[in-house]
Amino acid sequence: MTVFDLQHGTVVLGGRRILEDVSMTVDEGEFVAILGANGSGKTTLVRTLVGLNPLAAGQLSVFGTPVARFRDWPRLGYVPQRLSVGGGVPATVGEVVASGRTGRLNRFRRFSGADRAAVEHALEDVGLAHRVDDLVATLSGGQQQRVLIARALAGEPEVLVLDEPTAGVDADSQDTLAGALGHLSNNGGSVVLVAHELGPLESLIERAVVMSHGRVQSDGPPPRPEGHHAHPDHVHLHPHADEPSSSTFGLDR
Amino acid sequence: MTTILAFDFMRRGLLAALLVGLAAPSIGTFLVQRRLSLTGDGIGHVAFTGVGLGVLLRTSPVLTAVVVSVIGAVVIEIVRERAQASGDVALALLFYGGLAGGSILIRLAGGTNAALGGYLFGSLSSVSDSDLLVIVTLSLVVICTIALFLRELFAVCQDLDVARVSGLPVRFLNLLVAVGAAVTVTVAMRTVGLLLVSALMVVPVATVQLLARSFRGTLYGACVLGAVMSVGGLVLSYYADVPPGGSIVMLSLAAFLVAAVARHFREANLGGA
Repeated sequence: MTVFDLQHGTVVLGGRRILEDVSMTVDEGEFVAILGANGSGKTTLVRTLVGLNPLAAGQLSVFGTPVARFRDWPRLGYVPQRLSVGGGVPATVGEVVASGRTGRLNRFRRFSGADRAAVEHALEDVGLAHRVDDLVATLSGGQQQRVLIARALAGEPEVLVLDEPTAGVDADSQDTLAGALGHLSNNGGSVVLVAHELGPLESLIERAVVMSHGRVQSDGPPPRPEGHHAHPDHVHLHPHADEPSSSTFGLDR
Repeated sequence: MTTILAFDFMRRGLLAALLVGLAAPSIGTFLVQRRLSLTGDGIGHVAFTGVGLGVLLRTSPVLTAVVVSVIGAVVIEIVRERAQASGDVALALLFYGGLAGGSILIRLAGGTNAALGGYLFGSLSSVSDSDLLVIVTLSLVVICTIALFLRELFAVCQDLDVARVSGLPVRFLNLLVAVGAAVTVTVAMRTVGLLLVSALMVVPVATVQLLARSFRGTLYGACVLGAVMSVGGLVLSYYADVPPGGSIVMLSLAAFLVAAVARHFREANLGGA
């Protein structure tokens, strides 16, 4: 099953062509990184994939349905690029993460045990279960980023799209993040993320789409800098398969 | 207190103040969360034209104000959605037009300065029986709508993009807030006045969020505080013989100061512990 299928996509924002004839697909279960310099169109590309930017030309289908007719949005989770969790009124970590369930709720169905369990799992995944009642504003930048990821995870998406989740995030939070994404990926979920530097995410990435000046420059196995990773016969294994050593990423689940 | 309740107009005024005090901060919480605190002011200006129209047409100014301010709120929302940079100026133009239009229409209709002041700063004796019916109905509609859409509104005000991706009807919810704000403005017009209505939407929220520990806590606390300030201010205005808008807002600002001082001491205590 193809999650995203973008063909010859062109995106024009404010009169400027930001994406030019971009084609890329993401298959179910894939872990794809979108790389590239500042201004190369990475953010625009992921925003287009999740339906936030209209296409000036080309086609996009999501889970096999043209985006204009796609209605099953709770299958997607999206983590935008944010410096902090927004809003002028204080909110608790639990409230923000629970809002990630809203797309799955029916107006006449109350927040159920299953909803609460999903929120708890999401908070455990990002290592913030103990901060559930704290105001988001009292958390560090890296922790706030983890709250945003937990909000997306709470919706139990099949595909998670993240825009620069590692930017300005401390090493601890990066490790936790890698653990959470690895967990999702191991359970058959797809991940698409924009990144500047990969850090602990590097070993998770199966494919890298490199953007340059609004076009796809290369699409294939991620660049492996050195060591055994560089060997052509190297078979990439997840270091966090379902075994006790999965706590490599500080995640005991 | 019993002497106050002896007057019909005071009983009507107090009931209106209670409901407006509950409704205004409930919609205000979402305006503050989206950092649109001044939206209420803008709608208040536009509503003034609606009042003028009502006076000119010899119909209920509250009803024409509801219609005009809802139209104004929808236009404001569309302008905000469409234009990013130029939206600010477009909104300013709309606000000035609203205020100017109202002042002209009321004069053309032969309205007095006193009548004008009543609409702008509230007036104790102006709540008629038919007004009260409109005020009660619309306040309850606003409060129930917010209760019904609480989760969606929170998600949308928290993060527009994420709400959109999760499939929520973002445009509908944004319009709901805008229309709710417009309705609240007109409902509050009789007691607080159009120029001060926004304060009742924003100040209780700003006050409670200084001390609250959650979004829900802020929302509920602001509604309670809004109701207390609104009723208390009205009683104060009766005894002090000042416009109710002024006393309600002054009382709210005093509460804000108390909360700010309380927070300061709480943080000082936490810091010392």
